Formats: sequence, C-alpha cells, structure tokens
Amino acid sequence: MAANYWASTQRRHWLFTRERLADIRESFKERDKAAHNQFPLPDQRLLNIYFSQQLIKLGKRTSTRQQALATAQVYIKRFYTKNEIRQTNPYLVVTTAFYLACKMEECPQHIRFVVAEARNFWPEFIAPDVSKLGECEFALISEMHSQLIVHHPYRTLSELQPELSLTSDEVALAWSVINDHYLTDLPLMYPPHVIAVMAIIVAVVFKPSQTSFHGSAAPLAGAMRDGGMNILSALTEKNGGGPPPRIQKLVGWLAESEVDIKAVIECTQELVSLYEIWEQYSEKHCKELLGRMIKGKNLDK
Amino acid sequence: MAVSPLISRSPSATASSSNAAMKLKKVATQSSLNGPEIAPSPLSMQNSDRELTEQLNDDVRHKYIKDKKLGEGTYAVVFLGHLRSEPSSFVAIKKIKVNAEYKDGLSMDAIREVKYLQELAHPNIIALHDVFSSKDKNLSLVLEYLPLGDLEMLIKDANIHYGVADIKAWMGMLTRGVWFCHENFVLHRDIKPNNLLIASDGEVKLADFGLARSFADPYLNMTHQVITRWYRPPELLYGARQYSGVVDVWSIGMVFAELILRVPFVAGSSDLDQISKICEAFGTPTEANWPGVTKLPNYLAPDNNHMVPLQGREFFLRQFPTVGAVGADLLMSMCALDPRKRSSACQILQHGWWLTEPKPTNKENLPRKSGGTKKMGDDLTRRGGEVDDTPFKNAARQLDFNAMR
Repeated sequence: MAANYWASTQRRHWLFTRERLADIRESFKERDKAAHNQFPLPDQRLLNIYFSQQLIKLGKRTSTRQQALATAQVYIKRFYTKNEIRQTNPYLVVTTAFYLACKMEECPQHIRFVVAEARNFWPEFIAPDVSKLGECEFALISEMHSQLIVHHPYRTLSELQPELSLTSDEVALAWSVINDHYLTDLPLMYPPHVIAVMAIIVAVVFKPSQTSFHGSAAPLAGAMRDGGMNILSALTEKNGGGPPPRIQKLVGWLAESEVDIKAVIECTQELVSLYEIWEQYSEKHCKELLGRMIKGKNLDK
Repeated sequence: MAVSPLISRSPSATASSSNAAMKLKKVATQSSLNGPEIAPSPLSMQNSDRELTEQLNDDVRHKYIKDKKLGEGTYAVVFLGHLRSEPSSFVAIKKIKVNAEYKDGLSMDAIREVKYLQELAHPNIIALHDVFSSKDKNLSLVLEYLPLGDLEMLIKDANIHYGVADIKAWMGMLTRGVWFCHENFVLHRDIKPNNLLIASDGEVKLADFGLARSFADPYLNMTHQVITRWYRPPELLYGARQYSGVVDVWSIGMVFAELILRVPFVAGSSDLDQISKICEAFGTPTEANWPGVTKLPNYLAPDNNHMVPLQGREFFLRQFPTVGAVGADLLMSMCALDPRKRSSACQILQHGWWLTEPKPTNKENLPRKSGGTKKMGDDLTRRGGEVDDTPFKNAARQLDFNAMR
C-alpha cells in the first residue's frame, strides 16, 4: 500500500458517482442494443460474485494473498467502466487481472503458470498461447492509464482495531464484509476508509450471532435489517437506557471523527442489497450465459 | 508540474474523461442514425469501440513529438521529444521494450517504474508526465527532461571543482527525495550517483524506480538482491529478507562519502569482497555491536585475527575532514552497521549539519557540465542494479530477477 491516498490516482481518477456509473453502462447499452438483447447477462453483482469465485480458484493453488485478489477485482471493475463486457472474453480479463495484480502486490506468478492454471479451469475459453495474456495485460494497463496502485480498506481496519478495541471476532467479521464489498460498485464510489468504517459498524452493531455466516448471506441481510432498526431506535432515544456501551463508544468515536457519515450509510445500504440479491445467485446460470455470449460472439479466439 | 500534481494533472484528466463521454454519445447517435433495421455487425462494432479507446491514447501520443534517440539499452530506448504545442518544452520519452510476442508479460521493472512514478510527485523525484502505448504495442513513459547529466558525471570529471556547500545542496535534495519516498511507504532500493539526474535548473532528481517497492507487511519477505553492490548495506549482503527504509539511507551515506572523496568509498569486486571491505572500513559486525547479526541467513563468521573494532567519530573525522565534525557525525549516523541504529531519512533531515556553515549553494549556482543529454539517455535505459563502465565491469553480477518471481 504505497503512496498517499489523498494524492493518489485512485482518488483523482477512479472515483465515480453512482449516476456516472449508470450513465456509462447505459451508454454501452445504447450503443449495442442488439447484443444486449441477444446475450442477456445476470445482474452486475451476481457476475461479480461469479468472477470473484473464479479468482479465488485461480489464487488457491498459489495461496495468493487476499489483497492481490482484491486488487484484481478492482482492476476488473475499472476495465469494465471503459469496455463493454460483451466485447471481451471475461475469462481472459479475469486471468489477466489476476496476473497483473499479483505482480503489483509483490507476489508475482510466472505467466506460464497462470495460463496453465486458467486452462485447468476453463480450457474452452483460454488459449494455450501465453501471448494472449501478455496482449491483454497490455490492454488492461493502457485502459487504466497505467494507474495501478489500489488502496484497500484492510489497512484502515487493522489501524482502527486497537483504537476501537475491536475483538478478533469483530475484526474477522469486518474483514469478510470488506471482502464482500468488492462484489458491489462500492470500490469505485467511496474511499477505502469509509468502507472500513462501514465494515466495522456492521461487525460491531449488527454482530450476527452465528459465526458461520459466510456463504449464506441471507441471515446477515436479515440481521442487518433488524440491527438497523435497533441502532436507529438506540440513537434516537436519547433519554432511555441508551445503546449498549460498546455501541456508544463507537458512536462517540464516529461523532468526533470526520468520516462522512452519509457515505457510510450509503455503503451499508449497498451491502444490504448485495446480500439480498445474493440469494438469487446461481453459478451455473452465470456460467451458461457467459459461455453462450463468448461462443456466440466468437470472443475466445 | 511535479510540485502541484493536483492542480495540473486533474483538469486534463477530467477534460479527457468528459471528452470520452462526448465521443461515446456521438458514436451512440451515429449508430442509431444508421437505422435500427441494419443492426451493426459485431465486428464493426468492435472496431468502432477499438477506435474510441485508441483515440484517447492517440490524443496523448500526439501531444508529443519524438526528436532523436538519446540512448538504447537492453530494457528501453530513450528519445528526446517535445510538446507539439510548444516546441521549447522538452521531454524524455522512454520506450520500454516489451519482449517479442509478449512471452513473459511486462517485466517487473517496467511495472514498478510506472506504478510508483504515477503516484509520487515531488521536486526531487523525476516527474512522469504521461504514459501512452504505440502501434507496435510498446509502452512509452513521458518523463521530465533532465539535460545536465547525473552526479556520477560530476564526481568523475576532474575538471569540475566543487566544495562542501555544493555537496550540502546535492545531499539535501537527494535526502528530501528519499524522505518523500519513505513517507509514502516506497523503498527505492537503487540509490547511486548515476540514478541522481540533474535538471536544467540544477535540481537533483531521483530516477529509475525499476527496483522500487512498497514496504512489505510485517513478517513478509522481500528479496535481498537489490541495490547496486557498492551502495548495498551490510544487512542485505547478509541476506536479510525483512528490512526498512534505512537500506536506502546506507546508500545515501555511500553517495555522501563518494561526493567527498570523488571515488566510491567501499567498492567491492564481489558480494563477499564488499562485505570484507565494509568490515575493514567501518568495523566487524558482532553480536555486541549488532544484536542478531549472526542469525542472518548469509552471515559469515569473521576471521578472529582480523577483527576490526567499530569505528568511532575520530575515524570519520579523519577520513572526511572537509565536511567538519558535524558532517562526519552525520555520515557516521548513516553508516551504522546495525540497521536499527542507523538514522532514518527524516532524522537525517533534522541533523544539525544543515544549519552549520557553509550554507548550501543555491541550485542555480551549482557546478554543472554540458553533454548531460546523452548521459540521461544512458541512465534511463539501464536496468535496475546494473553497473556500467566500472573497473569491475566483468565481475559485476547480474541481479537474478527470476528469484523474485
């Protein structure tokens, strides 16, 4: 995590408003209605879930660090703000983002190894020729104007741990909330510290009781809805018993900090809707639609 | 440019992105003009899409005109260029050779260089103005033009005379550049006189970020095969995999000594020779003066008959009398064998030496030498860690970059 976020290219060039992102996507659609009708794709977030699972597969054998996977996910997002997905081979983009992110996060993998690994999983979509990946890497770098450093919320989380005396359970939960936020557009919309604060609030306030919430997001969504009501009532009712001291401490800290509370709330909303839509996720469905699109448009050549 | 990236860079960026939006809209309307019944074939659609992204890139490329080749190395070719709109504004265009057919993807050096220069903007760090790709799929970096060569050139030229005030000015600029890197969690890992280029106004600029990396997370290993040998600190020679910004501080110390003596201070012909030269000069590392040194992976027990005691202040004062007692004290703090006892870049900047007489020379009045253009070409095409035209050329070992993969 090099350089200073406030002066970073991420802050200057890669933050979008929700409207801007919608405009970009709308313009892609406008330009090629036929392809959009012919090859429908699932909700962007469902696709993101699919991509992230593919990335995890790629990273597993090499036990790649989470940070590299996170960087790869951001690269994929940035790339698809410049390119319509229906004109690309998403499997190649995923593989290339992985390859480049590994180099960037100082855990480089050899190009042959990455290609072999990718062919293992998607032999029909990845050519054995490594030069394809090299070419795509070049395209990826150009599309991102060689602005390659990505700032992640993980560091803020570990910095705030002692300050807010978070338990290791809470940190683990906040960590997985951060992992999940890469499935939404949030990394393109908010600075990392806002995301980290959001993750901490979710972890401390909503504290879903079941420890094994991962993978089945539905209960968390429910817990967050209920918890949301709780904190709301806790915050409004000033004279009553007041919120539990832990939450009080967090609320006090938030009030003194200069973190953009409105942005934090927006992030929480986004996350809740992610967990809701997650219930519709079907790996098979994503795979089929993508496969049909790639074959139909000969994008795997 | 380098001083205020926020002001100078962002407007052009926002302009270009709104430009892109305009173009997108134009294309969108055009394709609807064609009539909905003639659905554009996917191929032509792809072409127009290509053109769009290429257009943006071409806009950048057309901002510059290439004039002549300044130098060529194994890794890059450097051209002198200028802004199309303003012929008097020179730039250096460093074209990175992508190995044929993308055999191995982009090299780590190229990636590192682009990655860090994009984010670091400081008067003592070479500025990256733009990046573009050309038709033959090469990556070109548009860098600040630094026509006055590098520090190595001045050190070696016997016709150039300089004094303590000049050294102080150069050292100040160097240290501020390094401090800024460290402040932003970046290790440079290849500081040496020929990576310190000189701008037309005399400002020293840190260049060549091909070996730079960000600080690793605690307990994560980094490679010890970095920094050109003569400037490499003892902990790296002993194979330490976890180290901090003070590796660069050792290099700064070596540059300081070299500026004073006008020859490299400890110039080993091999890594082993380098260690023994360091021991002879500064003292033999022992558990007493450097706790933990014997645990380092490549630690070699010294010959008991040749133990050199740790050198004190008198040694530095005797060796480097020109910089005075305070200057010798500063150099000593940069050359502590134990990295934990070595000063940080920030501590160096707070040292009393900067306040003693003489005051540093104004950068405009620093000694200079013409013919630096060619030198810049050579400096920018060299691979990180490579040594050139030294008496030990044949002995110079290439860094093993495969070890890092």
